[in-house]
Amino acid sequence: MVEIVFLIPLLTGVMAFFIPRTTGRSLLVITGVIHLVLSLYLWIRRPVAVFDVYFSVTPEGLLSLMVISLLFFLISIYTTGYLKNTDIRSERVFTGSMLLFLSTMTMVTLSDHIMVMWIAIEATTLASAPLIYTHRSAATLEATWKYVLICSVGIALALLGSVLITLSMDIGGVDVPVAFSALTGEAGRLDPLWLKTGFVFILVGYGTKMGLAPMHTWLPDAHSEAPSPASALLSGVLLNCAYLGIFKTNKLMHAAGLGHFSGTILIVLGLVSILVAATFILKQTEYKRLLAYSSIENMGIIAFGTGIGGLGAYGAMLCLIHHSLIKSSLFLSSGNILLGFGSRLIKETGQLARRMPKTFVAFFSGFAGISGFPPFGIFIGELFIIIAAFRSGHYVAVGIFILSLCVIFAGFAKHVMQISFSDVQATIRLEEKPNMVWPQYALLLTSLVLCIWIPDSLYQTIIHAVNSIGGGF
Amino acid sequence: MIQPVDTILALVLLSVLVSFGSSRLPSLIKVLAFQGVVVSIVPLVIGHELTAGSIVFTLVTLVIRGIVIPLFIYLAIQKVAIRRDVGPIVGYHASLLAGLALIVAATFVSPKFNLPQTGVDALLLPTAITLLVAGMFLLMARRNAIAMVLGYIMMENGIYLVGTSFSVRAHHIVEFGILLDVLAGVMIMAIILQNINQAFDDVDTALLRTLKE
Repeated sequence: MVEIVFLIPLLTGVMAFFIPRTTGRSLLVITGVIHLVLSLYLWIRRPVAVFDVYFSVTPEGLLSLMVISLLFFLISIYTTGYLKNTDIRSERVFTGSMLLFLSTMTMVTLSDHIMVMWIAIEATTLASAPLIYTHRSAATLEATWKYVLICSVGIALALLGSVLITLSMDIGGVDVPVAFSALTGEAGRLDPLWLKTGFVFILVGYGTKMGLAPMHTWLPDAHSEAPSPASALLSGVLLNCAYLGIFKTNKLMHAAGLGHFSGTILIVLGLVSILVAATFILKQTEYKRLLAYSSIENMGIIAFGTGIGGLGAYGAMLCLIHHSLIKSSLFLSSGNILLGFGSRLIKETGQLARRMPKTFVAFFSGFAGISGFPPFGIFIGELFIIIAAFRSGHYVAVGIFILSLCVIFAGFAKHVMQISFSDVQATIRLEEKPNMVWPQYALLLTSLVLCIWIPDSLYQTIIHAVNSIGGGF
Repeated sequence: MIQPVDTILALVLLSVLVSFGSSRLPSLIKVLAFQGVVVSIVPLVIGHELTAGSIVFTLVTLVIRGIVIPLFIYLAIQKVAIRRDVGPIVGYHASLLAGLALIVAATFVSPKFNLPQTGVDALLLPTAITLLVAGMFLLMARRNAIAMVLGYIMMENGIYLVGTSFSVRAHHIVEFGILLDVLAGVMIMAIILQNINQAFDDVDTALLRTLKE
């Protein structure tokens, strides 16, 4: 019974709207635990779904599911501490939406039917909109409006893309369920013109949701205005869900022998995203927006790696996992900084190392990790992508790639140094409770361990996932 | 010979032109409601075989696209005293001209796609393309946030037309899920709109410019 993994958070999410808020906080953690246990069960047993036309357990879906589950569990622990220190008027809506958001994202990772995948991804937009609007200010309103409108329109294009793929089935005379797994076997008979058109629309649609430039404009606003636990979820796992849609369609393209076409578009979009992020990171004034642009950069890296293929696709998968772990820890730390200093501006923060030492350790190591330093996993991922790009002869592209990474590192480092060490008058209003720093440490530690030692089952799953898009060693 | 489906699709195209010329929100909403109804009944007249399931689904679509969604938006603007002007960035005459050019262009490019010509009407693809592009046009060329939502709905109508007419294989339960998503999306947009109006006393998106680099 695979479906139970997303039905449980759906149920508890609806419950959370009606129960007292303190109970809601524990419900968040309890659901997190149940979800983690069920996901582990799926990981080990890999069962078949009841509605196997619509849902199935795939290697790439499982990877995302495990990341979602682990992240949600740790973030839910952090959230209990965060909610005690902030004044949220409608806390029940917040916890309820968090759980519904978890449910919809889980549904994305398990869906196999093209349309069901679309339904689930659109549902993530709807479930997360109230999270962004939590603080009820004019700015959050603007961010929510942009988020819902831009993503809905973008995802509408993905729906058109999905419809066009069914059209390519009609023309090719393929009579199988409209599911990714069934179609991959018959991909050679799909009409190539409509398949390509469908892929472009799906890439633009889900790319909007994933934060690929130039469709990224909602992302910095939404990530900076949402409360930090919600930002961590948005950046850490929502972007992965959108990527999953692109990944599966790309798989279809590879099976149909059109991998070169999709790869080229992915490389271009990836590079544009990295360049845009580099431009905006340099002159950023708010630290949460800084992290948001860093997410755009990393999504660009992942798209680039996927487009390169081979070792690059393997590297992209590593980047996907480690970006989630590290970026969500950074967003949680930024929540502590926000609660401590009471300002989102970089220039109003300083001497983090002395004032909030525990948060500083998490924030600074997170920065090192996201910039691609060992011993965190993004280092290996980016290294593989660069090697693969050289091997396949994309010299200009990889030149731009490396140069942008250097610029981003320089910009990021300048801001982090300011936050960590510069002299600013401020009184700290937050006591660093264990449940508000340990989740970050746990996330970073996971990334560190996975960099040094990858369990065999994880390795096999990644290889299995990327094999279908021409990835692997 | 003029078939009923041609008449219906012509009405859809006409509704696009009327919507481009509408300057007031209530009339724009009425046009969209009309369009929702007309687009919903296309599957009934197009000549696919009718089962009980497809008839029920068409009726549900008709109720949601033609009645529930427009009514919801209409009530949203009734409750709060929103300025009724759609705030054109591109003027009405220019919009109308663009609409006509769009229909001509859509008709011109449609035969170039290699579609299976099995019982699909010649006007269908041009209409679908027109709806899609016209929806985008409304999104970009109107400053009023409600007009933008209506543009989104028009785009969705276009996608629905492509989906139901060309690919008959999608299950109704899946179609229903899509419809539900659109409905929920529009409702959430309407709720945000009411809040925007309370916060800014207007729904002019020019006011939503504080978050930028």
